[in-house]
Amino acid sequence: MKQKPYKKPLTMKQKHVLEGYLFIVPWIIGFSIFFALAFFKSLQLSLSKITKVSGFELEWIGGANYIRAFVWDTTFIPKLIDVLGDIVINTPLTLIFSLFIAMLVNRDIKFRGFFRGTFFLPVLLGTGFVLKQLLGMGVEQQATEVARRIVMPDEILMYLGPNVAGFVDNFMSRITLIFWNSGVQIIIFLAGLQSIPGSLYEASKCDGATVWENFWKITLPMMSPVILLNAIYTLVDSFASSTNPILEYMLGLKVSISQYEYAAALGMIYFMFVFLLVAVVYGVFKRYTYNSFEK
Amino acid sequence: MELNLEFVSLKNRINKWEESNPKLKFLYAKIKNMSIWGKSLFRLASYLLLFDLAFIFLYPFLYMIITSLKSPIDVMDITVEWIPRSFYFSNYEKAAEMLSYFPILFKTSIVTILATLGHIFSCSMVAYGFARYKFPLKNVLFNLVLLTIIVPIQVLIFSLLIMYSKVGWLNTYLPLIVPTFFGFGLRGGLFIFIFRQFFAGLPYELEEAARIDGCNAFRTYWTIVLPVAGSALLVCIMLSLVWHWNDYFEPTMYILRTDVQLLPSKLPNLYILLEQMVEQDVEISEYISVEGTVMAGTFLVILPILIVYLFLQKKFMEGIERSGLVG
Repeated sequence: MKQKPYKKPLTMKQKHVLEGYLFIVPWIIGFSIFFALAFFKSLQLSLSKITKVSGFELEWIGGANYIRAFVWDTTFIPKLIDVLGDIVINTPLTLIFSLFIAMLVNRDIKFRGFFRGTFFLPVLLGTGFVLKQLLGMGVEQQATEVARRIVMPDEILMYLGPNVAGFVDNFMSRITLIFWNSGVQIIIFLAGLQSIPGSLYEASKCDGATVWENFWKITLPMMSPVILLNAIYTLVDSFASSTNPILEYMLGLKVSISQYEYAAALGMIYFMFVFLLVAVVYGVFKRYTYNSFEK
Repeated sequence: MELNLEFVSLKNRINKWEESNPKLKFLYAKIKNMSIWGKSLFRLASYLLLFDLAFIFLYPFLYMIITSLKSPIDVMDITVEWIPRSFYFSNYEKAAEMLSYFPILFKTSIVTILATLGHIFSCSMVAYGFARYKFPLKNVLFNLVLLTIIVPIQVLIFSLLIMYSKVGWLNTYLPLIVPTFFGFGLRGGLFIFIFRQFFAGLPYELEEAARIDGCNAFRTYWTIVLPVAGSALLVCIMLSLVWHWNDYFEPTMYILRTDVQLLPSKLPNLYILLEQMVEQDVEISEYISVEGTVMAGTFLVILPILIVYLFLQKKFMEGIERSGLVG
């Protein structure tokens, strides 16, 4: 009788590792094709020139595309500065207002379900053409006008003078846009607020803390990991939103294939700034977060 | 010391004076009651603020519906601000006809559902691997997942475009569907992150019991973990559906032929076509209002996802709160 060749069975640990890899294998395949390869190709494309359109034959030309973006292109850099400035202003505002709204809704109020549902609704408008179309018709200004009249009648604005009125209107329409883009942030904050144990508030109430103190000493520290998560989400979202002028500019380059390499270079520069901003935000927030959101 | 004595005597005198004046006592009680008044006033103010905010959030939808129901005459008339004189449904007929709504609705739904399924399967599986297993390079790989969230699609789009055109996938729906089955596509990394946060918060005992009873790894994931993950699944399904349905950038990049375009990419064409029609023939603007028809088209495009949201809304909100999304 022929004996089977002895095969050493895997140890528990080896089996565990193998199973772990099996679970993430689809992602590894996807990562290498749709991300790593694409990223490498983009980098290559941005450093070369397309010589033959039919087969996408490339010729290495070094940093010429990057120089073109920084030196020759008069529209790209101002647009980039605009976009970055907008994002730097809008992100903190988004965080503050979505936390505020989440806290308003999280209290014991009537129609809670209605409000929660409503504040997520603008996400359904998407970031695409629908929102752009609405903005083109000046809907955000109409919305703010009606909404402002309820909290601040025209008479008060008239009394304050045209400068203040103009400022208030500008600010309000910026805020309205921020509101419409903050549906996801509001529900993430809501989830975070729900996860704070109520016993903390009870204990502080027994010790005679006010609502104001509760906010600064309990809510904010407990929410800090959520704030970090939301800050990064907001950044990523605004960098990829279709109302972003840089993206529109890049979309315009799609028309002729000979511009692909330049568009790739713009994409790379854009990514550098995105990465830098996210890294700065992460670094700064990480210092002040109560505990890491990664378990 | 003297000052203190003086103060005490002053206080005594005030007390006596108060007792002698019953009217004053009444005033005090009134001020005490004010705090209750103040509270209800505060409540009123906060409701006012909430409804005001809700109005801002609802306004785009109100505007869309109202404008789409206005006849061309009503659109021109400034006095008709809120309620149109008569409901004018031919805007919808015109928009549906120009968008060729129903056949494309079917295609868009299929693509959206397939892409969502891809996300749910692949992302939950990958996330389970990251949440429950320890293997070399795990942290590096997970940081790469986070990196894929950060990198905007616009960085990769041109090389992806070239890649897909070499495989012959342009003008098909494959570039929108296939990457989702590998945990990529529209914000795939984010779904991996959400699922991982959820799985990491699940108690391990259930899976342990299953493993001891001889369940293999994949079956444990499929029959034990996934059914428990209802709230996280719901959150991801909802977000994935909404984002895929409304996605505008990628489809317009990959799909150029108008006969295979999806609904959101069709909208700009509708707008341009209408403008041309009105420019060529001025009289036609008596029957067709560009604004009303575009709004009708827009509303038709988001209507299916709106209906899905209204049905799932309550469960979705509960799911968000329970999914341990934030640790």
